[in-house]
Amino acid sequence: MVQVFGFNFPEQTLVKRLLETFYGIGPKVSQRIMARYHIYPFAKVGGLKNAQVLELNAELSNMKIENDLRREVQDNIRRLKDMGTYRGRRHAMGLPVRGQRTRTQITTARKLNKIERGGLGRVQM
Amino acid sequence: MPPSQCFPGFALLALDRAAHHSIASRSLLALPHTPRFSTSAPRYGPPPRKGMVAPPKRGTKTLNVKKGKSSPSRDTTKRPAPGDRKALRKRIVLSNNNALEVPTLQDLHKDTVLSGENEGLVKGLPEDVVDALRAVEAFKPTQGWRLFRRPAILMRKETTLLAALFREVEGTANGQAKMTVRKVLIGERMSGKSTMLLQGLTMAFMRDWVVVNLPDAKDITIAHTEYAPLPGSQPTQYTQDIYTANLLSQIAKANQSILGNLPVTTNHSLPIPLPSKSTLKQLAELAITNPEASWPIFVALWKELTQPGRPPIMLAIDNLSHIMRNSEYLSADVKPIHAHDLALVRHFVDRLAGKTPLPNGGMILAATSGSNAPTSPALDFSIQVAEARQLNPESIPQWNPYKNVDQRVMECLKDVGVLKVAGLTKAEARSIMEYYAASGMLRAQVTEPFVTEKWSLAGMGNIGELERVSVRLRV
Repeated sequence: MVQVFGFNFPEQTLVKRLLETFYGIGPKVSQRIMARYHIYPFAKVGGLKNAQVLELNAELSNMKIENDLRREVQDNIRRLKDMGTYRGRRHAMGLPVRGQRTRTQITTARKLNKIERGGLGRVQM
Repeated sequence: MPPSQCFPGFALLALDRAAHHSIASRSLLALPHTPRFSTSAPRYGPPPRKGMVAPPKRGTKTLNVKKGKSSPSRDTTKRPAPGDRKALRKRIVLSNNNALEVPTLQDLHKDTVLSGENEGLVKGLPEDVVDALRAVEAFKPTQGWRLFRRPAILMRKETTLLAALFREVEGTANGQAKMTVRKVLIGERMSGKSTMLLQGLTMAFMRDWVVVNLPDAKDITIAHTEYAPLPGSQPTQYTQDIYTANLLSQIAKANQSILGNLPVTTNHSLPIPLPSKSTLKQLAELAITNPEASWPIFVALWKELTQPGRPPIMLAIDNLSHIMRNSEYLSADVKPIHAHDLALVRHFVDRLAGKTPLPNGGMILAATSGSNAPTSPALDFSIQVAEARQLNPESIPQWNPYKNVDQRVMECLKDVGVLKVAGLTKAEARSIMEYYAASGMLRAQVTEPFVTEKWSLAGMGNIGELERVSVRLRV
């Protein structure tokens, strides 16, 4: 088990996969981080050197990811709602925000448009 | 539910008695009031929900067609352990017990391996050479070694040309600068380029050259192994520690008889201590336990090998086009790294370009691939130019100025020679087909019309196709 950003990962996890488990890191960002520290795309967590794990930890702690990012997104939505804007209301109702039709096909909006968008997050060790 | 509607059970009398203390002691046959069996509840209740049927009786067999975790149809066979599938895929089988021993098959000999007399003959590989070739991964799983009793090669016209180049390198008079031959093997798909490379390695092993073989350029550039910037390099080069360590162990294993006798003569500043009076073999093997120091060790080993009085070097690579383009690695600013910026590739390419000649002479051999070759327009063009230079120097093709040019590749292949591996002649085809027949893998009389038929079917003697139509394809 290797601990990165407060979470434990088994040795055989891909580093790319590890990074993309964090809210706010997708394929592009993970590629950028891995390139910066010269980690090859198929690297596994067990194969990282100690220095690389420390660098990754430092990099991740400087980034706005996980709960910080969730809070920012939620704050933005809450601000819209508190101002009483149409977008804020639509978010609160779980309906499409940008003028899409609502007769059919609004599952994405139902899923995503909430005040508490992004959920509560994972619990750090 | 009123008790009067219900059917009382005898067996429950004892239980019910408890409810009627007053009569319990006097009458055994007193009527109970609590029903124990009733069909009313299911009859009057709401219909059962779908999927909520009662479980089957214990011990009865039921048909379970549910998909999911507990369904018996799930494949419960044991998965192969990690790495097993790859090992199977990359497995090299060099013998076939069902094939016949060919009594006329003679092994190559150190003294005669370079002579032109062998042309057109099938020759066996001596066992120690087979071991060495296996150690440098010169045999490929796609080649037909598994079809015959033991590895043997056809000494074709191109082999003789290659042997002549070996003789030239070895024949340089003392005092003259030693010759370095730089060749790219080209030819159609399945025309035997990798096998020609193997033949070159065989000759090098038999003539006691030091062999450094990069078995597949693809492994170096597809970003499946660890990389790190080389400190102090400008522009940045990248080392691949694990790959280099593996390469060094291959070098040590394949050339153990030569490297074991060569002592380390100069002082190297290595990150790990080297015992005094050690041999080059020990130097190379140091990398197995310390992969992080493998690049300095490789550089030190190369420096030792290029000292005066050391044997010639054979440096070979297969699948050249993979190193003539951008690699899959990314630099720190997320730009693709050109393959020539990988230290190991740079090392090879500098020698192929003739930038750093081999002081003790030697040969740089690169084979292109017809089946797994990413497009590299600069490589294709350079090969065309090199071919034209050999055949008709008056009309050398020009680069299309509207196309982007990979200048580094053009620079590197500017004056490299090519060796075209073409189809077999009919005599060679006959020779190898007689070997097939003697091995029992081709059940036909090898006659002139038969050879001509197969030779034509194989696209004018393409050896891979010839093997396919005569050995692999049994009708």
